[in-house]
Amino acid sequence: MLGFLTARQAGLDDPLRLRRAESTRRVLGLQLNPDRDVDRIHGNGINTIDIEAVEGRYMLSGGADGVIVIYDLENFSGKLQYTCKAVCTVGRSSRYVHKFSVETVQWYPYDTGMFVSSSFDKTMKVWDTETLKPAEVFQFEGNVYCHHLSPIARKHSLIAVGTTNPKIQLCDLKSGSRIHILQGHRAEVLSVRWSPRYEHILATASADSKVKVWDVRRASGSLFTLDQHNGDKSKASSEAVNTAHNGRVNGLCFTGDGLYLLTTGTDDRMRLWNSATGENTLVNYGKVCNESRKRLQFTVSRGCSPEFVFVPCGSSVAVYTLHTGELVTMLRGHYNNVDCCEFHPDYQEVYSGGKDCNILAWVPVLRPSDVEEDSDHEVKVKGHNNRKQ
Amino acid sequence: MSRKRALISDAFNLKKRKNGTEQFGATAAEEGPADIKSSLEYLMTLFPRKLFNDALPQILLKHQLYSIHSDKTLVDKEVVRWILNLLMFQLGFDAEAFGLVFTSDYKAKVLAGEEGKTTRATVERFLEKVVSACTDLSFTKDKMLKEFLFTDSEITQLVKSGVLTVRDAGSWWLSIPNSGKFTKYFIKGRKAVLSMVKKSKYGEVLKAEIEERRTNSQVKFHMKYHIHDIVGAELVESIPSTSGTLLRSVDS
Repeated sequence: MLGFLTARQAGLDDPLRLRRAESTRRVLGLQLNPDRDVDRIHGNGINTIDIEAVEGRYMLSGGADGVIVIYDLENFSGKLQYTCKAVCTVGRSSRYVHKFSVETVQWYPYDTGMFVSSSFDKTMKVWDTETLKPAEVFQFEGNVYCHHLSPIARKHSLIAVGTTNPKIQLCDLKSGSRIHILQGHRAEVLSVRWSPRYEHILATASADSKVKVWDVRRASGSLFTLDQHNGDKSKASSEAVNTAHNGRVNGLCFTGDGLYLLTTGTDDRMRLWNSATGENTLVNYGKVCNESRKRLQFTVSRGCSPEFVFVPCGSSVAVYTLHTGELVTMLRGHYNNVDCCEFHPDYQEVYSGGKDCNILAWVPVLRPSDVEEDSDHEVKVKGHNNRKQ
Repeated sequence: MSRKRALISDAFNLKKRKNGTEQFGATAAEEGPADIKSSLEYLMTLFPRKLFNDALPQILLKHQLYSIHSDKTLVDKEVVRWILNLLMFQLGFDAEAFGLVFTSDYKAKVLAGEEGKTTRATVERFLEKVVSACTDLSFTKDKMLKEFLFTDSEITQLVKSGVLTVRDAGSWWLSIPNSGKFTKYFIKGRKAVLSMVKKSKYGEVLKAEIEERRTNSQVKFHMKYHIHDIVGAELVESIPSTSGTLLRSVDS
């Protein structure tokens, strides 16, 4: 550690290197911390969480009872023991609350004045955070599984919506129109994700085992469909041609730089794809237990040197190294199935929510405080620091 | 290549994580061979040749390698690299189970099985042309007719001799003749071993202990063969403990 600091000071190392090294160390030290807690408001399972991109201070969560809660993650109390308090809720008593479970929530990418939530009551609502009233309600014919707003879009403000209908609808926030439709899937669309690198690229995953990548400016269909065998027709049985998984594909996640796409499916596999060519990188993560009939929300770390994937696996969160597929650790702590997890890039924390109505915060273990009392303890401490070099 | 700057992972001793990668005393004795080739050979020795009257080449499954080597992606890459000496087969009972056979073994056994049969010449031609040249798992009709110049009747002969198995109309899997017995015994044995683990107290058993157990009539292969298979296919969880590796059945 001190070596990194000195190298940065002397200009031998890029400043980013120290930052990456420390982020990686913190991610590897993630543990459940008794000092950090999240307020328990939900009475039913938590389906989705989202941390705002601007400050990383507020977190949204949507529950199976239709309730939406906003938490303040910032610790200004000065004490070590801190509970992330709920700032406001759209509870069952609100006139505008969703009737059935909320499947996806997302902050408006540019400020926290607005957020969008979609639910199994076949609506998607655009809320004003100040008044907690919906500014716009989009009605659909089927249950809405997921929606996503592009985090980098400047030229458009489209929300991609995946429902039980195989057609993906693009709703425009500015005009409220929904005439843009993407056709190509044959079964319900379980997950949609905009690329964090190009504002017009959209990836969608469906229960027909296919993952399609679209450019929304193009009139004629998808750019390509991901093929798990990379075109090697000999490996697949003939029904599995051009499928991303051997079962429903229910999770999609781009890496922070947008160069790779991760998909998870009910065939208990997770695959890493090159998002530009659609090639399967054939990284073998082993068996990633997946029994979810809905979308699975998983996340990739940002700013670390080997990137890590955090996937909910039964009642724990599995942490894999992105490019080698090695299982680093399992974060155990939930009492029931984990449905969603989200990474906080500034503090390298992971928040996960599940059916046990808890949101758990996994915090990097802090260095143990040095005690300078007796001499042999000093020696131990010095030895500890030398090893860290 | 000398490294002027240390790797980040080395600086923070990331390889020595506490959660689950510590080597306990009893497991150190089981350290397998370090490279893929020797572990392939080791696994081949576990295959019972007498059971099939020496008619089958030694088959092992790709996921058995995962139980010996922890990095699955590396194993996959190595198997692809070895593809000239190693043949991969779709075994049929599981979309992800691939069988591996040494090419020389395969050729020898197939030719031995074809002694005195009318289909021998076709099979020999097939082995020389196709198996040596291309590494696909399956073949389509177009490919067989145009690239390799086999006629329809010759393809029928190949299917009859067991070297090709029908996949769907107009395409065939590469297969091992007489491997039906292997698949039957394998599936039965796998089920039996899994139920042995499940029926144990608490659903878990020490690996050393189950390897020593008497195999019942269902299990025709060596216990170790089956253990490597179920650990590699992640049908049981392999947990390191102070008394050795523990196998715990996964509730699914």
